[in-house]
Amino acid sequence: MRRGVPWLRHAVLILVSAAMLLPFYWVLKTAITDENIYAYPPRLLPQNPHPYNFVDVWYLIPFPRYLLNSIVVSLLAVVGNVVLNAMAAYALTQSFRAKKLVILLLLSCMLIPFQATIIPAYLITARIGLLNSYLGLALPLLSTIVCIFIYKSAFEAVPRSLVEAARMDGLSEWRIITHVLLPLSRPAIATNVILAFIWSWNSFMWPLIITRDADMQTLPLGLARFLSYMEDTTGALYAFVCLVLAPGILVFLMAQSAFIRGLTHGATKG
Amino acid sequence: MSQPRRRLHPWLLSRWVIVPAVLLILVFGWNLNVAMNATGEIRGRVVGPGGQPVPNATVQLFERSFVVNTEKQRTTTGTDGRFRFEGNASHAVQLQAEAPGLGKSERTTLRLLFRAQDADLPAPLVLKP
Repeated sequence: MRRGVPWLRHAVLILVSAAMLLPFYWVLKTAITDENIYAYPPRLLPQNPHPYNFVDVWYLIPFPRYLLNSIVVSLLAVVGNVVLNAMAAYALTQSFRAKKLVILLLLSCMLIPFQATIIPAYLITARIGLLNSYLGLALPLLSTIVCIFIYKSAFEAVPRSLVEAARMDGLSEWRIITHVLLPLSRPAIATNVILAFIWSWNSFMWPLIITRDADMQTLPLGLARFLSYMEDTTGALYAFVCLVLAPGILVFLMAQSAFIRGLTHGATKG
Repeated sequence: MSQPRRRLHPWLLSRWVIVPAVLLILVFGWNLNVAMNATGEIRGRVVGPGGQPVPNATVQLFERSFVVNTEKQRTTTGTDGRFRFEGNASHAVQLQAEAPGLGKSERTTLRLLFRAQDADLPAPLVLKP
């Protein structure tokens, strides 16, 4: 049973939430005005708000093109994660020789930062002819180890008897994944979708390395390019930031409850 | 015998369908609005220091790029001091008027919601000696 004063708890939570949201509010406030963020004393409410900074961002650089590139790459990464991770996780729920070694290898791979593997990743991508392409941009994020383990814990929570029954009914392994395990693992799917989307959406170094044409650049690269043009702290820069952030926030808000359930799925087992 | 009622598939009522659908409708509506109001016409008025309309004043239209404003068009005002530009392709322009003997106006920035938006200058260009 919970103890304490409910309104006090809520008041504290509201204060903490407000403190965490303040930077986002400040970015939005600067984007809809032309105020200097270093102005003193700072104004809490926007003065003469207008949408023209967003219009500038849309037209001064090829924003629609960057947006399209980011959407395509993120969709590829999301589809890759949802499908490939499910297959890998299903394999890890089966019994086979050296399973622990495979898990250990996967976990140890998580310790290696992406920057350390970027040269071999580049060489492989170049060898298979995917440089400067959407698939090449999404390639390193088509499957991520963290998301494999999120699926694995979700699949392990499904009663074994259900999978065995499906197998006795003649379902193939692939259909067991798609018709039995995935429908029962929606929080894990949501977690995969959100993480894959946000990671690919924010990815900067990989697109910077493998894109050669400006037409293939994604939004984070566009933001860096925009920053090089607009060096002062104008509202247009913050409008760009808002436009880059908005899709990620939207996807998170749409799937937040399932996302949290997916992340805490294995934590409460047993 | 009554027919069983057809129910919508639950996925159609999920937020993953509704939110993108609403966004698509908004984008379509906005583009429709743009298509109907994007002939690039900019109208305004030039007045003298006393507020009287100035005929035959020259009005310049500058188009904004990243760091510079480049002159793209110029026109002259009518007998009522009014002017009109056609075919503006920018989303942010500056306007300045000049008349012999009456001086120049300050450059006025006109920011638009989209490229080639039809717009009226909210305040007249005031010539100053």
